[in-house]
Amino acid sequence: MRLSASLWRFVLPLLVLMVLVFDLPLLGMLGRSIDFPDVTLEHYRELFDADLYLKVIVNTFSIAAVVTLLCALLGYPLAYWMRGLSPTAQLIALAMVVIPFWISVLIRTYAWIIMLGNAGIVNSTLKALGLVDDPVAFLYNRLGVTIGIVNVLLPFLVLPLFATMAKVDERLLQASRSLGASETATFWRVFFPLTVPALVAGSLLVFIMSLGFYVTPMILGGGRVSMLVNMLDLLVNRMPNWSLASAISMLLLVVALTLYALSRRLGARSVM
Amino acid sequence: MDRRQFIRNGAALSCGAAVGPLAFAAENVPGAAREIRIIAAGGLSGQSVQVGYLDPFTAKTGITVVREDTTGTPLGKLRAMVESGRIDAVLHEIGGPALAQALALNLVQPLRWDAINPAPMFPEARHSHGLGYQYFSVVSAWRSDAKPLSSWRDFWNVQAFPGRRSLPDIPYYSLPIALLADGVAPKDLYPIDLDRAFASLAKIKAQVSVWWASGAQAPQLMSDNEVQYAAVYSGRVAGNAKFGFTFNQGNLAIGYFVVPVGAAEDQRIAAYRLLREFTLPENQAEAAKVVSYTGNSPALDKLLPKDKLSQFPTTQENRAVQVLPDDMFWFRNAAVVEKRWQQFKLSL
Repeated sequence: MRLSASLWRFVLPLLVLMVLVFDLPLLGMLGRSIDFPDVTLEHYRELFDADLYLKVIVNTFSIAAVVTLLCALLGYPLAYWMRGLSPTAQLIALAMVVIPFWISVLIRTYAWIIMLGNAGIVNSTLKALGLVDDPVAFLYNRLGVTIGIVNVLLPFLVLPLFATMAKVDERLLQASRSLGASETATFWRVFFPLTVPALVAGSLLVFIMSLGFYVTPMILGGGRVSMLVNMLDLLVNRMPNWSLASAISMLLLVVALTLYALSRRLGARSVM
Repeated sequence: MDRRQFIRNGAALSCGAAVGPLAFAAENVPGAAREIRIIAAGGLSGQSVQVGYLDPFTAKTGITVVREDTTGTPLGKLRAMVESGRIDAVLHEIGGPALAQALALNLVQPLRWDAINPAPMFPEARHSHGLGYQYFSVVSAWRSDAKPLSSWRDFWNVQAFPGRRSLPDIPYYSLPIALLADGVAPKDLYPIDLDRAFASLAKIKAQVSVWWASGAQAPQLMSDNEVQYAAVYSGRVAGNAKFGFTFNQGNLAIGYFVVPVGAAEDQRIAAYRLLREFTLPENQAEAAKVVSYTGNSPALDKLLPKDKLSQFPTTQENRAVQVLPDDMFWFRNAAVVEKRWQQFKLSL
């Protein structure tokens, strides 16, 4: 694609800004991770140190995977249900998905403490119903972190999924039914395959974003759940080992870019 | 508001509004900048710095001080500032281990103590590269409805003192606490026996619900009844009827002010004059009205309110039962300690 000279004038300021304050420092980070001008892969090797960083990496990816799965399991039926609503009801349902989006992650995270704590609403309800004797430990463990992240990321899956579902041509489903397929068969053999690319693209987005969570594991993890970004904070501020921090950042960047490219390809296919 | 306070507040306001020497500034500091910036902890602590030290300083010298809150961790900011060569704050507040790190990274310059000309102060607060201005302490505390503790050994004794615990996610505090709980005498604390400390932590870890990262967390967890016992900053629980605490075996720590390498001469001259204010007991008594973390003057006790003496970490009585950190140990072993700490946490 060629930009005309007049268009360049509009693009240039942003381009210069991005290159100066974002791309160049990124390059600097890459340099730091290999101790430029020397070249060493020592810091990358350290990442795979079996009893620390590798554990944190595995932890992070497994939490991200569980979060993604939960988002898909919760988000898909939600989006599907929304598709069948009347336009007004759809608007209300969309608003309910989007409104929490406008509330700061920090506030939503603290809200979970009130909801899920030992003396919180959920535990006192369970106790009042006689379902449990001792409060359930929802917080300050992996479960709490997972709940918190799913809550934040669910809209990122529901919104694109709903947009795709709304675009599915109703006539295809009618054709399927008129040819004698049951509702179940129509869903699984016509509707679902049409929405899979959006589901996968959305899931990848959720996965990428959950790799970068900081506040939620810090507050809801009770110091027992380490994710990569918390480790980064430590490496930058407490250790301080900026070379290793750069190596971790590069790893995250490469993983995120790869997955993003993948989701773009799948997303592009779902649009047609 | 009494009359004296009214005048001082008025002076502070006019300094904030108009840059330039005040007509009634009694003292002239030759060669000093007319305005300096400092970066200090925010919240109540920052407020205590303002009313205790900065306002009197400005009233005396006419030099304006712009105080900025620390964001993130002070060492990162200090490092970025020195590496970029743009020193826009001449004083930075940092903790003891950070001071040792800053020293090794060559980020801070030696203080000229003759130029500061301090009033008498506790020896450990007079560091070659930093002025310790504020003492705080991590102590054992409990909900007022829980059985009171008298030592870290009690904190570890979950049979006699049942309940959930919270400890700092900060080895600087938690490792000495673990050793004291294991029966190590305060004088034998350093060098920290890491194996013994982690073995001691392993005994309590099942009872620890939360490893806290920020000072506000622990008292909140006790309020919410998530935990019954916690190691907390004394100022977060002192004077609050909901909690009990003891200074016995408390971990004293010191907040320092440092001058970054590359700070301009006139800035430094003003900063040295300001540092003197941090050693004056009458200023420290004002600061103690805002926050219970007290200053470096041995003469401060007499100026503190009698009924609240038990709440301050530096009174003669409280100081005697607490332990001071060996910041050089933490600096020298930072990498090893942090790594083992993280490995320990992954075993939870």
